[in-house]
Amino acid sequence: MKTDDLIRAISADTLRQPQLRTMLVLGMLPSLVIAAVALWLVLGFRADITTALVTPISLARIILTGVLGIFATRLALLMARPEGGQLARLWPLAAVAAAAFGLVLWAYVATPAEARQMAVVGKTMTKCLVTIPLLSVLPVATLLYVLRQGATTAPMRAGFVAGLAGSGFAAAIYALHCTEDSPLFYVTWYGLAIMGVTLVSTFIGARSLRW
Amino acid sequence: MAEQGDAWEQLLMAANAGDARAYGRFLQAVTPVLRGIVRAKGGSLGEAGCEDVLQEVLFAIHLKRHTWEAGSPVRPWLYSITRYKVVDAFRARGRKIDMPIDDFADVLAADAGPDPTDAADMEKMIGMLDGRSATIIRKIGLEGISVAETGAALTMSEGAVRVALHRALKTLAILRERHVK
Repeated sequence: MKTDDLIRAISADTLRQPQLRTMLVLGMLPSLVIAAVALWLVLGFRADITTALVTPISLARIILTGVLGIFATRLALLMARPEGGQLARLWPLAAVAAAAFGLVLWAYVATPAEARQMAVVGKTMTKCLVTIPLLSVLPVATLLYVLRQGATTAPMRAGFVAGLAGSGFAAAIYALHCTEDSPLFYVTWYGLAIMGVTLVSTFIGARSLRW
Repeated sequence: MAEQGDAWEQLLMAANAGDARAYGRFLQAVTPVLRGIVRAKGGSLGEAGCEDVLQEVLFAIHLKRHTWEAGSPVRPWLYSITRYKVVDAFRARGRKIDMPIDDFADVLAADAGPDPTDAADMEKMIGMLDGRSATIIRKIGLEGISVAETGAALTMSEGAVRVALHRALKTLAILRERHVK
């Protein structure tokens, strides 16, 4: 078949394709709602949630992880475009990490020396390290699916931002249950859970986002 | 050059809104440029080989056209797809090439030549489709018959022909890649 003939056949196919942005919104909203409802049904929200939501140091973890989720989702949407890999700037993610690090430094200074170790270890780190990855499954899978419908030219980086986005949101949702309010705890263990999910998603991305 | 670029944006925007004629003009306009890029990089494949790679790029553009965001420039989008698919095609043929995207602007557009090279792979691939899909591709592509007339000839509705054509093109794109690899 000559190229001109192929062009004729291709241009006759005007079936509309869904926009990535639409697909992302339609996929992510239900994923996050389902994750939140699942958490509420299985573990429940913390009893003092209304107080916690107006306590700055407790609220900070929701804001921090939520902002991470939003930044990384925007990056994922950009990376779904072929030229996105060249346009994507990762510094907003570094800014979130820097803010988290700053919070840890502050908490380290503010916590009496003898209480620090207890603050880091907390009482619920296993639950945290299990629940956040579980809550991440659906959002990360949704993002990877949208990226697959797209045309990323940087599969590994796309998997990386998808992992950060999904697990960031998952951590924000988990914070509605978790009562450990010290940054020494949550930056450490939420951070570790997020890193674990992101690592897995990076590998999945590198393998499955080629086209 | 800049003027031509503006026109590409308008054509692709109309194409993504469902305008088949604008889409055809867009593909006609970008093809010589892409052919130039492929030939500049893949001279060793010969003209027919380059034409095959070019067709793979056109398939990719087609199947991923919804990833272009209206309002953003077409060239970076187009060249990113081209580079990705050309590197892919060369890898599949056991070659490695280095393609800095900045070089693309210097490449001269190339015509297919007085006797456009028949891309050899394509005919084989169409033969691997089911009969009806192959007929649709041949009628619309080779004979230049409209979707509506193809539907009438095959006693199918226009919508059904569109869906079948879309599926057939998708299958062809997959078949080609699998075949080379």
